[in-house]
Amino acid sequence: MSYFFQLVVSGIVVGSIYALSALGFVLIYKSSRVLNIAHGQIIAAGAFITYALTVWLGIPIYISFLLSLIITFFLAMSVERVFLRRLIGEPIISVIMVTIGLMSILDGLIYMTPFGAENFSFPEFLPKTPIALGGVSISWTQMVGVIITFVLIAAFSWFFKRSTLGISMRAVSDDQMASMSIGISIPKVFGLAWATAGFSAAAAGGIIGNITGLNFDTLRAFGIIVFPVVILGGLDSVFGAVVAGIIMGLIQQFAAGYLDGNWGLSGTAELLPYIVLLIILLFKPHGLFGIHEIERV
Amino acid sequence: MSQNRWLATGNFFTSYKQEQRIFLTHLDRLVFICFLVVLFVWPLFLEVGNKYMLVIDNILIAIVAILGLNLLTGFAGLISIGHAAFVGVGAYTVASFARVLGDSHVLITHAWPLMILMAGGVGAVVGAIVGLPAMRLKHLYLVIATLSFQMIFQWTINFMSFFNQGQTISIGRVFWFTGKVVRNQHYFFWYYVILVILIILGLAVRNLLRTRYGRCLVAVRDNDRAADAMGMHPGLTKVYAFAMSGFFAGVAGALHAYLFRGAGFESFTLHQSISYLAMAIVGGLGTLVGSFFGPMAIIMLDLQVENLSEFFKHQFSAALDLATALRPLTFGLVIVLFLMFEPRGIANWWRILRTYLKLWPFRY
Repeated sequence: MSYFFQLVVSGIVVGSIYALSALGFVLIYKSSRVLNIAHGQIIAAGAFITYALTVWLGIPIYISFLLSLIITFFLAMSVERVFLRRLIGEPIISVIMVTIGLMSILDGLIYMTPFGAENFSFPEFLPKTPIALGGVSISWTQMVGVIITFVLIAAFSWFFKRSTLGISMRAVSDDQMASMSIGISIPKVFGLAWATAGFSAAAAGGIIGNITGLNFDTLRAFGIIVFPVVILGGLDSVFGAVVAGIIMGLIQQFAAGYLDGNWGLSGTAELLPYIVLLIILLFKPHGLFGIHEIERV
Repeated sequence: MSQNRWLATGNFFTSYKQEQRIFLTHLDRLVFICFLVVLFVWPLFLEVGNKYMLVIDNILIAIVAILGLNLLTGFAGLISIGHAAFVGVGAYTVASFARVLGDSHVLITHAWPLMILMAGGVGAVVGAIVGLPAMRLKHLYLVIATLSFQMIFQWTINFMSFFNQGQTISIGRVFWFTGKVVRNQHYFFWYYVILVILIILGLAVRNLLRTRYGRCLVAVRDNDRAADAMGMHPGLTKVYAFAMSGFFAGVAGALHAYLFRGAGFESFTLHQSISYLAMAIVGGLGTLVGSFFGPMAIIMLDLQVENLSEFFKHQFSAALDLATALRPLTFGLVIVLFLMFEPRGIANWWRILRTYLKLWPFRY
């Protein structure tokens, strides 16, 4: 039974990170209807910036974590400004293809740094002994990661529900014409959406980097696993992203824990999310919490 | 009415049938036939090394694949970031026969045209299955469906022992009427095979676009509600586009497997899918000539990047591996720059050049 609970706990840990990664993705989709395929690269960039600040420049990790959030905030904003601003009004399909190109560019840029080829790991700054909770153990890094994740998600929810900027972002996602007519600057909102997405991606990157170590392929994979998560949760629902992230984390952990090694299966944790994704697309495309205004053909 | 069928000075169409002719003048037809003859004849006179023949073969295979991707992304307006996986389906169809029957079974070495056709068929079926969500959903969701197909394909190849866990599955040398195709004739032989297949498929696409099915694709892309109101079935049309694209990809995959005498995992990754997309975009989405220019441009660019990184390696240090960095960087830049500054791709330059030559020495 403790094996089961161990899987549940690690599922929640992984899932909450998925939720945080998915958050940025949902932000961009919500305001501009663009699928950001380059999200994983932004996550990786956030993690690498945190590492570079901490280890190479010797800044304390808490401060460098915050700094990397701010740097990625402006980085994502400038990405939007340079590449996507002039595509406002173009068909969504070409904007999505631009993000595919962006993914390739960021890949290339990261391969030029030492992070592309080698693995790094953060220095330990938390107690090494895991916390034992009645037969289930969880490491301090994971614990802190989960706490930061939930604090950030709560902050983002508050931002969308209450703050003027958040409300204007929701307004733009609802109706661009109407929001323009009441004086909301659409380009500004798009820039802000990318910037906040970069912010949350960097947070996710920093946390993942601390838990799993810095490997470009691992970090980049989070940008792809985000797709099953957001589809399950509903593409435009922040709450859905959180719930679906945790569900997906649990599914993966249970698959790795119970399916692998039996019946000649292996690596099922990598496969199941996509099968879930295809099933959801076929039968319930708006996901668990998405708005039911799927455009049918 | 007698009009000059060699040099038309304008449009004198009196029926839709005339407008849909492939060749508007006899001159066009003559030029096209001369071009084909040159394509067939030049390897007999020019001695080319195996290395360059391989590059040319690669380009031709990529063109076959891009014809399919362009049908899907350009004409039907559905982005696919899983095209390499569809190509992989074709390659692994041949490879799984090789695995079951042994790599030099008669079916593989002698009945290879049949195998290529079958790979296309399997690709079409898989394409239709992946396209099934298109019955209910629009493009955003289909992007994700193709992406998840890519991931599922990678898992299947990497973890199933039947597919040799992603290691290369070898395929034997094929036979022609004159006997076994030997090593130094290999690329030469496949050049002709691929060329013939490419011409057939290219003409097929050109003809498809003149028929009601081709026009259906474009109509559904431009406005699916209007298409629905005019009696087309948008969902089925999209599934059909996926199946067509799967067929082309499957044929390309089988050719790839035969050319490299084996199917391995690394040719069908997400990166390869993205470079296919880059080829389609650079060539020009929604144009037939674009499918020919795109792969040429991208593969040439790829070669130049490789040379450049070799050069850097010699000049500076052997540890500096720029190839892995420069390749995605250039592909990404090419995609983004073309989308931003020339969304109609090289096909548009071709169109401009043609009009210029036609009107020369006048401006218009």
